[in-house]
Amino acid sequence: MKQGYEMVVGLEIHAELNTDSKIYCSCHNAFGLEVNSQCCPICMGMPGTLPTLNSRVVDSAVKMGHALHCSINRICKQDRKNYFYPDLPKAYQISQFDVPLCEHGYVNIMVDGKQKKIGVTRIHIEEDAGKLLHGDSFGGTLVDFNRCGVPLIEIVSEPDMRSSAEAKAYLDAIKAILQHLDISDCKMQEGSIRCDVNVSVHKEGEPFGTRCEMKNVNTFSGAVRAIEYEANRQIELLEQGESISQETRRWDDSQGKSFLLRSKEDAQDYRYFPEPDLLTIVLSEERVESLKEGIGELPNDRMARLMWEYRLSQGDATLLVEVPEKADLFEAAAAIGKAKADELVKWIVGDISKYLNDTGKPLSDFAITPVQLSDLAEAVTSGKISSTAGKTVLDVILFEDKSVEAVIEEKGLAQISDTGALEEIVLEVLKNNEKSVQDYRGGKTNALGYLVGQCMRLTKGKGNPTLMKELLIKHL
Amino acid sequence: MELYEYSAAKLSAMMEQGEISAHELCESVFRRIEGTDPEVHAYLTLQKEEALKQADEVDKLRRSGESLPPLAGIPVGIKDNICTKGLRTTCASRMLHNFVPPYDATVIKKLRAQYAVIPGKLNMDEFAMGSSTETSYFQKTANPHDLTRIPGGSSGGSAAAVAAGSAVVALGSDTGGSIRQPASLCGVVGLKPTYGAVSRFGLVAFASSLDQIGPFGRTVEDAALLYDAVCGPDSMDATSVRRDVTPIAPQLHASVKGLKIGLPHEYFEEGVEESTKKAVMNAAAELEKAGAKLIPLSLPSTGYGLSAYYIIASAEASSNLARFDGVKYGYRTEHFETLEQMYENTRSEGFGDEVKRRILLGTFVLSSGYYDAYYKRAKMLQQQMTREFVSVFEQCDLLLTPTTPYTAFKLGERIDDPLMMYRCDVCTVPVNIAGLPAVSLPCGRDDRGLPIGMQLIGPHFSEARLLNTAYSYEKLIGGFPPMPRLAGKEGAK
Amino acid sequence: MNIDVRHIAKLSRLHLNEEEIPKFTEEMEKILAMVEQLPPIEGEGTLLDPDHPMELREDKAQTLYRRDELLANAPEVEAGCVVVPKVVD
Repeated sequence: MKQGYEMVVGLEIHAELNTDSKIYCSCHNAFGLEVNSQCCPICMGMPGTLPTLNSRVVDSAVKMGHALHCSINRICKQDRKNYFYPDLPKAYQISQFDVPLCEHGYVNIMVDGKQKKIGVTRIHIEEDAGKLLHGDSFGGTLVDFNRCGVPLIEIVSEPDMRSSAEAKAYLDAIKAILQHLDISDCKMQEGSIRCDVNVSVHKEGEPFGTRCEMKNVNTFSGAVRAIEYEANRQIELLEQGESISQETRRWDDSQGKSFLLRSKEDAQDYRYFPEPDLLTIVLSEERVESLKEGIGELPNDRMARLMWEYRLSQGDATLLVEVPEKADLFEAAAAIGKAKADELVKWIVGDISKYLNDTGKPLSDFAITPVQLSDLAEAVTSGKISSTAGKTVLDVILFEDKSVEAVIEEKGLAQISDTGALEEIVLEVLKNNEKSVQDYRGGKTNALGYLVGQCMRLTKGKGNPTLMKELLIKHL
Repeated sequence: MELYEYSAAKLSAMMEQGEISAHELCESVFRRIEGTDPEVHAYLTLQKEEALKQADEVDKLRRSGESLPPLAGIPVGIKDNICTKGLRTTCASRMLHNFVPPYDATVIKKLRAQYAVIPGKLNMDEFAMGSSTETSYFQKTANPHDLTRIPGGSSGGSAAAVAAGSAVVALGSDTGGSIRQPASLCGVVGLKPTYGAVSRFGLVAFASSLDQIGPFGRTVEDAALLYDAVCGPDSMDATSVRRDVTPIAPQLHASVKGLKIGLPHEYFEEGVEESTKKAVMNAAAELEKAGAKLIPLSLPSTGYGLSAYYIIASAEASSNLARFDGVKYGYRTEHFETLEQMYENTRSEGFGDEVKRRILLGTFVLSSGYYDAYYKRAKMLQQQMTREFVSVFEQCDLLLTPTTPYTAFKLGERIDDPLMMYRCDVCTVPVNIAGLPAVSLPCGRDDRGLPIGMQLIGPHFSEARLLNTAYSYEKLIGGFPPMPRLAGKEGAK
Repeated sequence: MNIDVRHIAKLSRLHLNEEEIPKFTEEMEKILAMVEQLPPIEGEGTLLDPDHPMELREDKAQTLYRRDELLANAPEVEAGCVVVPKVVD
């Protein structure tokens, strides 16, 4: 971004909840099934039908509210947002307007190793709309109502982000929390988590500029691109002496551009009013409190703690927390106190993760225990086995409940670290490789590598290379 | 006496005793429909074959010795804004001229479970917006007492059918008086239940926070029987109130001793015809003679009722009727290329003027910058009016008022003056605003021989008290007048 | 009160003919004149009604309808979907 400018970003995230039934009717909340097969007169907006609110939707939203440190409005209501569109069968969306379920919260994000607090304005519940299908084979647009009534929570942030990296970190943190709470599948490719982006720019030290909203941002990486594109577009306009007009734009990720959707003058008049088919939502204090139970430590908090407690880098901590099972394995192994934390991380984000990726299986499908991992890391750092032998051990303990020691024994992987035994071999190698000895002494230090290799050959790979190197230098 | 002339209670007993069959009753009612409906035009859709099938089923069950509920075999007419699975439900609008619901309203499910017979669907003002049934897209219904006059509305078809004997009882809906006003003008009994007493699931919404389904009968007991059959909580309607219900009809007893009846003077003021005031006061005197105590009192916010009503009802209607867009069901214009043209032309061609007026008004009062001044203010006023009612019910058990300021007017007389039409509802809308129950029952005739109705209003869920008082009055005057004579080829009389 | 009936009609997706505009304008103005007789309301007030709390539905899913029943009333159907004029979104 151009020097001297600062950007201000706010995000509205829509996350589909993973309830069994839809928000206002008992149809299945399922993705990817045959068009219009998950519908009923209620979600298709037939005359005479009425909504009934799914209790789990409220619970999920309250959990998210707790996780984002919101105050929970135990007494709140739902409102109608009126507009015409073919994917909205009632021609209004049941949402929440002036009294959302949760408000005034925040979430801590981590950018460049530093923590930042992002305000959360509100979280409210609402229904999703259907899908329009376009194609050249038919003259019109087809409407699939399956997604109508799928429960959504909308999480609105304060305009607290100052870069696309912060926005990305915020999106990642929210997604991780949704997954941690197990309230949303967060499948971007299925559109189960989407966002609208608000961007403004201003010269440093000056008041905030006019913001533009971008719709149709379907991926987090798209959000980063959209934010950067929009900030640059606005800066360019300002540089040309033009002003920014408040408008809604549509992001086209494939073209990497945004297009004007409507200006402020054409802003929709949604004519919000309280949904008369539903009564006031009243939640008991006990119910709201009980939803705090089982939330546990949030991924973003855990990340910060791992970085602080184990001195991990942000990258390593992120990789661990992204898959809570990995972080669990790490912490359990670290707690044994035998192996060093960074060694444990290396095994987890390295070879173990490679296994997970290659097989596509979750960590829980593998047999490895914290004790095994700790012993493995310790055996390698202490020089008991080589790192190559370590991988051989891992191959076994991922699948079998055998102690690391037993595997080392069984496979004869232990390194020879007995100085006396090794010294004999070193002397033999020095005797048989006159030329290399001369080379080394003549200043060709890489001859040492060859000599170590010869020692290794004689020990059938079991000699401790560090020790052998030390002995060679001593005798040279 | 023909079978269609008897009350539902009497017919139920006759069937129970095996004196008549449901089939015979159904045939009798259809003969009456065929005789009178060419003049009265109460029905929009008839299903004779299906109705006879339902009646035969009742007879079969009865022969097998099964003990059946009171409404088994009774022909119940249904207002055409209540969804009936497989039977066209039009709301008397071109917009839904071809709509066949894939589901039954909860009240219909309940009626089917009680083996009631459904002869057909009854005319109404389009989407229940009107007070004369003249805004129906399909036909104008005549008042059986004078075929040149309106039956009232919006449930004019239901009131006219019950008055004419082309249904034994009928269901209507009441948003601002749409059951009580036509009941009054057609000389029958009509009950608007407490908001939340009867499920609205399947009632095509006009104003969700005011709409209630309720019964029409020629006797108070009949209205009570039908109310008993359809009331009660429903998990499909979040606004239906979870509470225990006990049937009212079996407990009706003619006694008003010690009953405190309030007479709010605001309901007897300007615009109310002298003959109506007199008839209602005479009825009050009858009740007093029977042991009730009359208490003059005041409901000062009454005058704001119409304003609050038209704001709230229109606002909700503008949103409720937005779904009629030519996409999923109902009418679709033939004149369009773009989506916007399809929306606008479908809605302009599919809705009548009164519906358009209310949609425009409702859209306006909700639009940006006007919400607080109109909708919010009306909702606050609604709370004030409700509190006012609650406090007068500390002084009395129920209220007695005229149902309408005047008796049935001529067809076409007021159709071009919306405001005149709206004033028909001045005595009935406060009840909907406050969510209260009220019953209208006949209390005499004006000098043209047209029925006059009086309204009893009670606290929330006082239907038993209301119906019992109405029943007492019916007994005091020795029963309501007989069915009007209908000329023409009817002749079944 | 001046009402922009054209704008309100647009919001309502109602097409009014030129000759209908004055008629609806006049009628709307008359109705609003009646409706405007509301008294001022003291206090802020809220439209929440905690005295009548809503019962929530248990999260249990079921399939009760077939697609063809639900689409039987649709003016135009193709490939199991309702059809509308081409929309660019």
